[in-house]
This record gives sequence, structure tokens and C-alpha cells, in this order.
Amino acid sequence: MAPSIIHTEKLSKRFAGPKKEIVEAVRAIDLDVAKGEIFGLLGPNGAGKTTTMRMLCTLLLPSSGRATVAGFDLASAAGEIRRHIGYVGQKGGMEQVATGRENLMLHAQLYRLGRSEAARRVAELEERLNLQAFIDRKAETYSGGQRRILDLASGVINAPELLFLDEPTTGLDPQSRARVWDEVRKVHDQGTTIFLTTHYLEEADALCDRVAIVDQGRLVALGSPAELKKQIAGDIVTLGYDDEAQAKAAAQLLDGNPVVLERHVTGALVQVYVDHGDEALPNLLRIVGQAHQPAKSVHLSRPSLDDVFLKLTGRSLRETESGPG
Amino acid sequence: MRDMYLIAMNELRVTMRNPFWSVSGLFQPVIYLLLFGPLLNGVAAARSFPGESAIQFFAPGLLVMNALFSAGFEGFTLRDKLDSGFLERLRVTPISRLALALGFILQTAVNLVIQSVALIVCSFFFGLRLDAIGALALIILVVLIGITMSSVSYRLALVIREGGILAGIINTFVLPAMILSGIMLPVSFGPPIIQLMAKLDPFFYAVEAARSLINGALTDSSIFIAFAIFVTLSAVTLAVFIRGMREAVA
Repeated sequence: MAPSIIHTEKLSKRFAGPKKEIVEAVRAIDLDVAKGEIFGLLGPNGAGKTTTMRMLCTLLLPSSGRATVAGFDLASAAGEIRRHIGYVGQKGGMEQVATGRENLMLHAQLYRLGRSEAARRVAELEERLNLQAFIDRKAETYSGGQRRILDLASGVINAPELLFLDEPTTGLDPQSRARVWDEVRKVHDQGTTIFLTTHYLEEADALCDRVAIVDQGRLVALGSPAELKKQIAGDIVTLGYDDEAQAKAAAQLLDGNPVVLERHVTGALVQVYVDHGDEALPNLLRIVGQAHQPAKSVHLSRPSLDDVFLKLTGRSLRETESGPG
Repeated sequence: MRDMYLIAMNELRVTMRNPFWSVSGLFQPVIYLLLFGPLLNGVAAARSFPGESAIQFFAPGLLVMNALFSAGFEGFTLRDKLDSGFLERLRVTPISRLALALGFILQTAVNLVIQSVALIVCSFFFGLRLDAIGALALIILVVLIGITMSSVSYRLALVIREGGILAGIINTFVLPAMILSGIMLPVSFGPPIIQLMAKLDPFFYAVEAARSLINGALTDSSIFIAFAIFVTLSAVTLAVFIRGMREAVA
């Protein structure tokens, strides 16, 4: 593996909660991100993804643990780190009444570029990230997708070795999301390592070389999307029922059956992990049918990252997505 | 230094781009000039009135009042910058927290100078006579007041997330400070208790000094007192704001 551009040891963050209780937002995370990767932190809202990223970006002091970012110690060289990284937060942070170009010029100059150098750098990004259509309009007139592309441009204004993206496509329509992914890949192709957080499985799957799954401040799995999915043996048969009670009753019927490796009930769905889905399916349907618990629907699938998350935490990522932010 | 300048210029450009900038910033003082000034004319006829005319009495105070309110509510600008992620985005650039803080303060100061000149020009049409050196010194005093007020306001904005609460706190201080300073009516009209409270209001001295400066009484002791107070206050509040900016987590 290439040398680490991010290395953390037991990185932790504790906050005082609203009732003065201690909230452990990030619990002893050990991570190594290699140079040149697109690395994703995947997890539900509130899992500690953003807190982890904010610590690595020098925006938040860790409560304990150590980290090096771009070769510099987080505790002692925050200024050096800032020079070598780019960061795009969830809110973007562009001045809305200024044009895209004015925003980029300001940031270029804050990275110590002279006026003409800055103008050249902005023109270069305009070309490379296809900003021509909107760069001279005020940022407040941008569509969601255009806004994110401008944010992205501001994140790479200093040609950073390492770019942090906090939920880069949250709230975007599929088309804009695909456009942002394309631009992120372009930035990556220029040799920039990318560290992103997301709660979209598709995003982690489509974009990331490696994914760390986090839940309740802990790192629960780490690997390429393919490796993670391989952890789940075989296939998944999903049986649909009218309600949870029926689903639970049906699930109990399957306990002890030798082909069933594992099973979960989420809502009115029973998910059964089996080695050979195509062979197990008729068998499973016969068992529940004979017990007068026939399934209303049935679905056979290869494992997704959601199944990995479900297996590790007992909860579905899709389910937690709709929960409170 | 350059970073501070960049931040201030960006803020000024943004402020001026708002088509209502000149209107909204100067709306309140100009309304006072138009509506309250003439009302005061009647009061100025009273024998116990300390100034020689209403405009000579009111215009200097108006400059102090403008600094009090316009800089006092600058915290809302910073609140917006925090909410929009603009400040967070700046915090990951190599800009120092000092330059960031001073950039915001510089913006306030430049803004106040422009507004003060505009108010003086407006007051001419109402018959204000002024001493040129005194007026220049007055603008410096106004800037010191602006630094004090905006530092306090910015510092509060760093910790108070709720806009309504921020407005409430600022109003609680600014309104009594304004009335007791004798900007609107001479404090000498009031009962002894009001006069005593006025003596505790730093803005009372600022208004006294402002009147002396406009009238060209450049050696009046009130001027030295006011400058001593506001050089100290602006230095202390600015230091507190800069420290807050360094610690800010928002």
C-alpha cells in the first residue's frame, strides 16, 4: 500500500450533551488512508462521520488520540495541514451575493497567490471543472448542482494533496449527483487523495476505493466495497409480509434450517442469508407456505453495502436515513 | 495584513452590492435628522437648553448614535457568516484568526467613516456649522466607538446562535446607553438620578466630546475624557473579540 496521507490512532471526540451528559461522538478510531485513494466514511446521520472529518481538517480539537494529516501532526502543525488540504463542508461556505469568480479569487488570494496568479488559477479551474456557464453569476442564483461544483472548485483552489468532502451530494437530484461524481473523479485523476463522508450507499459504492463503515462513533468495518460485500456469504432472500408480527412469525419458522446462515427482521421484511439463493429460494418458500405464513413478495439479491451495515449493526442504513438528522 | 485587507474588501463589496445598503444603513439616522431635528427646534428655544441650536446639539450626537447602532448590530453579519459556513470555509485556509478578526473590524470602521461623512453632509442642509479639525477628530472618535461596539457584538455572535436572543441582548444595552448619553435630549433636563446614571454611561462622554469637537472647542476636557475612555474600551473589547475568534468552535 502507498504511504498513508491520513493516519489516526484512537482518535476520539466527546461533547457535553444538552443535559450535561457526555456524548461520545467519535470513539477511538484507527484509520490509515493511502495516498491516491478515494476513501469514504459511510454511516447513518449522527454516526460521527462529520465530527471525524472536522477533527482531521483542524476545525475541531480531538478529545484524545493522535493523527497525522498530509504528513503533519494534527496537534502541533494545524497551520501546515491547512496549507496542504482542501475542505468542502456541507454548507459550502461561498459568499452568496458574490459571483463564483469573486469567491474563488478571494480564496486563491488567501492561499497567498498574487492577483494575477490567482486569476490564472481560477481560469484554469473554470476550464477544468466546466464552470463557464455560471462562474460570473452571483452564487445565490446557482442550482444545487452548480453550487456544489463551485464549492468543489474552492476546495481545490490551492491544488491540495488531500481533499475533504463532507456529504458532497446530499440533497442533490440524481443527475446533479452524477455530475458532482464526475468532477470529483477528475480532481482525483489529477493526483489528489479524496476523503469523503456519505450516508449514500450508492455514492460509497460508485466512488470509493475503500470504505470505512462507522456507527455510533465506532469504526465497524473497513475495506473496498467489493471486499465488504464479500464478508456477507452468499445471497439474500427477502420475504415480504403485511406487518412485523407476521414477519417475525415467519422468521422463527426458518430458525434451525441448515441452509439459513443468518436472518434479520426489519419491519415487515425477513432477510435470509443463504449460500445459494437460487436453490434455497424454493425450499424457503415451501417452509413458510406449509406453515400457513406464505410471503406476500419475494426478492433474491446479491449483497449490497446496506446488507453489510445491517449485518454489522442489526439496523438498515436506509432505515436510519429517514430518521432525525 | 494582506489577509485582513482581503477580508475587509470582500465584506465591503458584499455590503455595497446590497442595493439597500446606503438606504438601510443610514435610514435610521436620516429619519432622526428629518423628523426629530425639527421637533427639537421647539425645545431648543427653552432657556435651559444647553446648545446654541437644535442641529448643533443633535447632529454630533447623531454620529455617535449611528456608531452605537450600526456597529452594535454588526454581530448579525457574523452570525450569517457562521450559519452559511463562510467562516468555517475561511478557518481551513491558512489565514490567521487575528487577520480574520481584524478584517471584520476594518470593514466596520470603513463603513462607519463613509456613513459619518454622509451624515455630516446631510446635516449641512439643516444648517450645521462645524470645525474641520474637530470634525476629523470626531470621525476618529466614532471609529473607536465602532470598534468597541462591533467587537462586543461580534464576540456575542460567536457564542449566541439564536438571532432573536442576540438582538434582545444588544438592545438591552444599546437603548439605555443611547438615552442616557443625552443624544436626543439634554441629560440636564432630567432628575438627579438620571444625571447620575448618565455619568456612568461612557457614551455620555462621547456625546459631550462630539459636541465640543463640532463647535471647535478643541481643548474642552470632555474630548480628552472621551478619547481616554474609548481608546481603552476599544483596545479591551478588541482583545476579547480576537481571543474569542481564536477559540471559536462554531
